[in-house]
Amino acid sequence: MRLFRHVRRTAAVALALALTGTMTTACGSSAGSGGAVSLRFAWWGNADRAKATQAAVALFEKDNPGITVSTEYESYDAYFQKLATQVAGGDSPDLFQLDRATLGEYQQKGVLRALDPYLGTTLHTGSVPAILLSAGKIDGKQYAIPGGQTTQMLLYDKTLWERAGAAAPAAGWTWEQFAAAAEKVGKATGVPGSTDFGWAIDWFEVWLAEHGKHLYGANGTLGFTAADLSSFWGMTATIRAADGLSKPSATTKMDGSTANSALVTKQAASEINYDSNLTGYLASYSGGTLAAAPLPTDSASVSGLAAMPPVSFAVSQRSAHADAAVKLLDFLTNDPSAGALLGTTRGLPPNLSTRTSVCASATASAGDKAVCGYESTVSKLVGPSFGNWPTGAAAVKRDFQQIYDNVIFGKTSVSAAAAQLVSDAQQTLSQQ
Amino acid sequence: MTGSATLRQTDGRDIGPAPASKRDGRRSAVRSRAARRRGEGRAAWLLLTPWAAGALLLTLGPALVSLYLSFTDYNLFNPPHWVGLRNYTTMFTNDPRYWDAVRVTAQYVVLVVPIKLAAALGVALLLNRGRRGLGFYRSAFYAPSLLGASVAVALVWRALFSTGGTVDHLLSDIGVHTGGWIDQPQYAVYTLVLLGAWQFGAPMVIFLAGLKQIPADLYEAAAIDGAGRLRRLWSVTLPLLSPVLLFNLVLETIHAFQAFTGAFIVSGGRGGPGDSTLFYTLYLYQRGFTDFRMGYASAMAWVLLLVLGVLTLLLFATARRWVFYAGQERP
Amino acid sequence: MTAHTADDASPASAPGRGAVPATRVRRSLIWHVSTIVVVVVLLYPIGWLISSSFKPADEVLGNLSLWPRHATTDGYRQVFSGIAGYSVWHYFGNSLLVSAGAVAGNVISCSLAAYAFARLHFRGRGPLLGFVIGTIMLPQHAVLIPQYILFQKLGLVNTFWPLVLPKFLAVDAFFVFLMVQFIRTLPRELDEAATLDGCGPLRIYRYIVLPLLRPALITTAILTFIWTWNDFFTQLVYLNDASKFTLPLALQIFIDQTGQSAYGPMLALSVLALVPIVLFFLAFQRFILEGAASSGLKG
Repeated sequence: MRLFRHVRRTAAVALALALTGTMTTACGSSAGSGGAVSLRFAWWGNADRAKATQAAVALFEKDNPGITVSTEYESYDAYFQKLATQVAGGDSPDLFQLDRATLGEYQQKGVLRALDPYLGTTLHTGSVPAILLSAGKIDGKQYAIPGGQTTQMLLYDKTLWERAGAAAPAAGWTWEQFAAAAEKVGKATGVPGSTDFGWAIDWFEVWLAEHGKHLYGANGTLGFTAADLSSFWGMTATIRAADGLSKPSATTKMDGSTANSALVTKQAASEINYDSNLTGYLASYSGGTLAAAPLPTDSASVSGLAAMPPVSFAVSQRSAHADAAVKLLDFLTNDPSAGALLGTTRGLPPNLSTRTSVCASATASAGDKAVCGYESTVSKLVGPSFGNWPTGAAAVKRDFQQIYDNVIFGKTSVSAAAAQLVSDAQQTLSQQ
Repeated sequence: MTGSATLRQTDGRDIGPAPASKRDGRRSAVRSRAARRRGEGRAAWLLLTPWAAGALLLTLGPALVSLYLSFTDYNLFNPPHWVGLRNYTTMFTNDPRYWDAVRVTAQYVVLVVPIKLAAALGVALLLNRGRRGLGFYRSAFYAPSLLGASVAVALVWRALFSTGGTVDHLLSDIGVHTGGWIDQPQYAVYTLVLLGAWQFGAPMVIFLAGLKQIPADLYEAAAIDGAGRLRRLWSVTLPLLSPVLLFNLVLETIHAFQAFTGAFIVSGGRGGPGDSTLFYTLYLYQRGFTDFRMGYASAMAWVLLLVLGVLTLLLFATARRWVFYAGQERP
Repeated sequence: MTAHTADDASPASAPGRGAVPATRVRRSLIWHVSTIVVVVVLLYPIGWLISSSFKPADEVLGNLSLWPRHATTDGYRQVFSGIAGYSVWHYFGNSLLVSAGAVAGNVISCSLAAYAFARLHFRGRGPLLGFVIGTIMLPQHAVLIPQYILFQKLGLVNTFWPLVLPKFLAVDAFFVFLMVQFIRTLPRELDEAATLDGCGPLRIYRYIVLPLLRPALITTAILTFIWTWNDFFTQLVYLNDASKFTLPLALQIFIDQTGQSAYGPMLALSVLALVPIVLFFLAFQRFILEGAASSGLKG
């Protein structure tokens, strides 16, 4: 009984500790003792990215004997669940990777450190193109550094398009020409001309930009109307009805990965994606020749292509070793040897001189060469990174795809779906 | 019901006085009942110490925290603010996806629990016989459950149930053209029902263990009384297995309501196509960990807890009619 | 396995089984054939998994046949050449450690608690047992953050403790409830008799309940081992370094939702990861057979 009472007291104390400690996340990573600094660096990605990044980190440790770096990496969903848990528990990694849908979220919740004090002194961004660097700027401050560059592309099966006699995509072509070509391919070959691109808010963003609008306005409000979305989804509906776009059963699986790509599984003859995935497509595609082309545009001045960071790196607000974390970030961004090791594992290198040498390297793979080639042919067309996404954008992105599923499976009309998305998104954004 | 009457007689004849006789105090001569109870209480708490520590620290504490959070706007990163019942009212009145999730989950539970339990009980009875190679069969039936719900299972399910996949081909060959199941909203949930039911190994093993604890002499006694095979199943096996049946029923029901991993991996975390596989806990996860609305997610968790609590109480209430405890004073 | 228990629902166990009549042989044949048909259907997906682990990437979803057109062992070769700088055995070792710890914890702590709940009288037993069942109903994602913060404050994140310690504290209420139900099916007369002989509750637990509970304990061990072996989310949250990674965490390195997944090694590792749990199940499933029925309940 006495034993139990003791246990009960200990338990009560620990419980109280847990209760009070839960919401006040005051402590950061433990302070290193005696000059030795221990950093934590986390990212998501595949085995190639992990291997390259670890090699670069090892090089950093060799150059900086006082700093040890422990690396953590998972697949995308797993990474973000873990990061959220760690941040809630007050022990986020010092340096970590974010993407478009999460950068704004983490910044607005005060998780990220503004990097401006380090710019020009320990963090050099002179070789990173301004149109790319702007992606890490929020409210005038630099919160993240792009980990690479990618831009939108239309990847098409040259063989099928030629067989159908469809005009090859070329810079400056319009959505109307795209629709005509896609329908022609679909009718002639039996394979729909393109993957139904209405599923991804990213491609809607391109279309909006070409029409002088943005997904999100200032202060995290919605930048488009139900009418805008209606005409975008109306366009896909028209092409789909004419055999130009993939079937709903293929479209619903789309998530941007090659594994679930309608193009790779031969259920579409072309697909819109970011060119950082080009290598993966080329490796998984068989029985045809793939070529990358710029997206169609309805505007004379806006190409629809933008310099986008596939991933960005940010430093934790609570990092006890922000200086060392910035040092590592600078090393990953600017060091030529690190750049050579990282190669194109996060898209083209953000640093222009590294990019030139990586593209020219004798060891560059066929995939790397294809990405470099595409980016150099469209370099004149590529505009600045689209604006930042506010908190709640991840939910809106998911709802966008879910509601579009209802459209393609005929459960709701385009106009009703567009109205629903706009009202849902407004609610999501206002609740943040 | 004559079945359980037979059983009680058999029970009494073979193993001594019927348990009910204990209550009238004939045994109190041995030791003062009160003293024994006191000793038992002390021993009980000694045995329960690890459990109590875990229950307080790892279960009750976190549960109370989540109850508190359900009345806040906690977003994982910033201190929570009290918002009263707002999460609950939003959920019930202003969130159509919540009701999608409820509908999908109810549909899943109603289908998967009976199918899975019937398969588990049927196979357990089948394998409880004296046949050659029982170890092999038992392992074969359990094998699907060894896989768990890993990414590999997701891949298998996609290969089997996609448009152009194995099942689509087989059905087309016999003239049924449904297309893929996993990629169409009207069928997708059935692929998850199949996945859930396919992994019936856990309740099967529990049924088997239960069957093995039924004293063999009860069957012999029943056989001597001239009971046939079905009669023995009905009068001996099922009543004596009923506590285990109750256990499996309650647990599988709870388990089905909490189904997460299957839908998560098969739909890539989305609950698609449309919201057709948006299970309750998947939506809870999305709200908590991708939308960072942990207050809302906590409220969802507590509503689920309450619903499950009521359902379980109902199951236990009906259990008084059909569950028989050999070692208990009363059911 | 003893013939006695294996046969208890079948008339074959009746004494005097003599020459086997032809109808029995035929019935037995029908039983085996129909059971095997069911087994083949049930195991088809596993066959698909194994055969796909020998297929090149483009055949995995492109070739429905169980036979690879161009069989390859590249996936296995990649797995055996190491994952993220550690050999594959490293991950097996970690998984084994965590699973074995979880089994020991659950078997000990849950049986202690279950015995107390099922057999001993103490104040608040009913409500506390209700609480046990209640904890099964709470969705894990809702308590994840508070639990994480607790372990983080204790400095146990990135160790195996958050995965094993809860098992020693009977936090898996499922197994407590399972054993409570099993103990309830044991005839009470046995402990009554032992009490008459002057045995205290602890001795009754040790010498009477524990041996009779063996089927439930084995069941607990099997389920705990398999579930821990396959558990992804808890291990994901608490383990950070690749040096601490278990098999499910090693497996997800091959998935890349935003790019190209490596099917070959992923399928190969999935198949390899099955081997220990298959062995574990094969080793222990026969003990489920040795039920209380035959082990001395009579008399």
